[in-house]
Amino acid sequence: MIRIYTLEGKAFVWNYTDVRRIREEHRIVGVLVGALPRKPRQNVRLGLPLELLPEEARLLLEKGLATLVKNPTSQSLGDDRSQDPLFPGKVAAYEKELEENYQEQLRLSAEQRKIVLDSLADRIAQGRAKKWQQKGEGGDPLVQPVESGSSFVLPRESMMIQLPTEQTQRTEEEEVNWHVASQLWPYAGQENHEMRYCIFRDLWERGYYVTTGSKFGGDFLIYPGDPMRFHAHYIALCFSKDAPISLCDIISAGRLGTNVKKTVLLCSVDQGGTIAYTSLQWSGMQ
Amino acid sequence: MEAEEEPPAGRRLLSPAELLAARTRDHKIPQRSLGQKDFIPDGSEEQESKLHQCRKEHWQLLEEERVVRLGSLVKAEWKPQESIVELKSPAGKFWHTMGFAQHGKQCLLPEEALYLLECGSLQLFYKDLPLSVQEAYENLLSPKSVSLLKYQVYSHLKRLGYIVLRFHFSTIPTPYERQLNLDSHYQSTERGGHKRRRSSSPRLQDKKPKPSEKSQEWSPKKAKIHHGNSSPPALDGSPKARIKASDAKTENIELVPSSSVTKECSELPTCVQDYKETRSKTVGESHNDVCASRWNFTSIDFPNMGADYPQVFLPEPDKRLLPENITARAIDASPWCRRLNQKHERLTRKEQEQLKWESRYKRSINEDVEVRRCTTWQEYKALLRERSGLADLCTQPVTPLVKPNQGLSTADILQQINVFQPSHLLEEAFQLQNHSSQLKIDFDVYHADEASIFKKNDPGKPYVRMCVQRFDEQVPSLKVVKQLSYQSGDVPVVFALVDNGNIAFFSFKEFKLPTDVYP
Repeated sequence: MIRIYTLEGKAFVWNYTDVRRIREEHRIVGVLVGALPRKPRQNVRLGLPLELLPEEARLLLEKGLATLVKNPTSQSLGDDRSQDPLFPGKVAAYEKELEENYQEQLRLSAEQRKIVLDSLADRIAQGRAKKWQQKGEGGDPLVQPVESGSSFVLPRESMMIQLPTEQTQRTEEEEVNWHVASQLWPYAGQENHEMRYCIFRDLWERGYYVTTGSKFGGDFLIYPGDPMRFHAHYIALCFSKDAPISLCDIISAGRLGTNVKKTVLLCSVDQGGTIAYTSLQWSGMQ
Repeated sequence: MEAEEEPPAGRRLLSPAELLAARTRDHKIPQRSLGQKDFIPDGSEEQESKLHQCRKEHWQLLEEERVVRLGSLVKAEWKPQESIVELKSPAGKFWHTMGFAQHGKQCLLPEEALYLLECGSLQLFYKDLPLSVQEAYENLLSPKSVSLLKYQVYSHLKRLGYIVLRFHFSTIPTPYERQLNLDSHYQSTERGGHKRRRSSSPRLQDKKPKPSEKSQEWSPKKAKIHHGNSSPPALDGSPKARIKASDAKTENIELVPSSSVTKECSELPTCVQDYKETRSKTVGESHNDVCASRWNFTSIDFPNMGADYPQVFLPEPDKRLLPENITARAIDASPWCRRLNQKHERLTRKEQEQLKWESRYKRSINEDVEVRRCTTWQEYKALLRERSGLADLCTQPVTPLVKPNQGLSTADILQQINVFQPSHLLEEAFQLQNHSSQLKIDFDVYHADEASIFKKNDPGKPYVRMCVQRFDEQVPSLKVVKQLSYQSGDVPVVFALVDNGNIAFFSFKEFKLPTDVYP
């Protein structure tokens, strides 16, 4: 089950495998918003977490592919350590694990070093022999063995530490009911959200990749394949069925769509729940 | 949910071997080199393999965990009660632009700590246990201290290299300070404190502290209290009010009518000191205007050193004005003058035309003997009325829009008959300050290339100030824009819109329609 975490009413996915499944199996793209571990100080490629549109999250929830959960925060738990009966044990366990990890890293790096030294053993021996010869002493160079791997020390500060992305401790996750509007998930029942969701779901069910369209001034961008390799075909603008649309809006939408070589779709939901799509095209009259 | 019982895939703690292997990890981001995106999936193998490759590289990057040498990590503890993060080991290079000291301890704001954690520079502990990035997001971010949206903007800007500080009201001059033109003084003394320009000798300064100096000594805090107690006079942009304001500051001027200037300024040392003082200040025009009237140029001898002036004899300067160990003598400067200004000024055609035009239509008012005879403004104005012959017209209830003596140029006349005066962004913004608005300035943003000279305790003027907004919020009204720009002073205000993690920026700029009138 994919876990979607809410934070200030937004949906986040922290698990790498979940993120991958969401995209490859469920055609949901989302937006990466965290710093990329490999190169954190740039904005071109970002890393976990993946932030989902409310519509994207709802689709996964409604299809029973994900659960919406909320972690308790330190503020609500309070800082009183004595309240947590497991607390001393947890810290001890962490410290034990850290120490074991260090010992293991020490062992491994000593091993690696030994392998390196062994592979170079001939050269080292040659070098030593040369040195002895140069000094002009007839002593036996083999008196000192090349074996120095056992005395190898990995300084504590050279130990490698993981800064985990996803939560590491089990917490009392609170499952959030996404059917009802709440502070954690304020969207259910909102007119605009319901309309957008219906349209989003319909497009998704038709096999498209649907992402947020704000960069083109629309509600959604509609891709024929994974946005990684394909350009968007449509800019979807959601309108409630009876709401009047000003001509200016249509002109600006059509103009923009033409300029970026995409088709503008006006989308509205019918009473029956069917979606009406209308596309805009400039027509030249001569 | 049975699936939850088995250790969920991806709750990933790396093994020691993996940790060690991370030491030799690549630090470059692979360039996408698969060419243009395609238009439509055609089911071809080529497309499939390209997509596969793209995804593979994408997932590889995403899968990587942060792995850092223990020695290069700064340890810190999250204190939820105070909403701060306390450092447990000495800060790194980031201390130059982030953090603050409290009770002798080095602390970070939640957004700073979270950003550093994301960058792999900080290990964050809570209750002696390390926090993952997810736990840090969920614990450190809250609408009370720094909200998710603000953090997203903060980290976006930080990743771009900007220095970002929280915006505080105390860092901007109050309207009162601004009205007194204190801010520029305050800044110039605060910022360039150690490299203030050479001032006059201490003896002279001790002798008579100038009122303007007093104003420099005012701490901004004092001025603020002042402002809080008494409602300051309404600030309006008209030059009259500004002069009044600076009058209040340099109170001497009010007391010295123009006729007695001579007397005061005959005390040469004071004059010179004043001169130096004004020079050492940042140029405030109103201030200079006022000060100019303090010097009686008839009593200060400025020799004409122009090439057209054949005899220049410089008398011995007043010994009182010279440092002790400097001797001076009278000198005949005429040979030196002759070598000056040898080159003819070369004018462009445009400049020549301008000169020609000026010589035809413009003339110095001082060439007019009658005008020179006037000793006061009143006399001058009376003379003008008399000349225009409009004395009676002007006294009637309805007066002409443009009087002949006013129309100096087309632009002047146009200005005179304008029905709508152009309004400025900051105009009347002062009155709006009492109305609370939802939107507040969140961050001060400083240029990245200033990092070497940046001081976080004295950051100076930011490059921009940032307001964070949700994407579904309305575009701020003119009123709000005015309020915010007034708060921000002469620093531009930029709005950051966060749409589901995508961040866009926009700002309002003042625009003046050009008037196509010559000149």
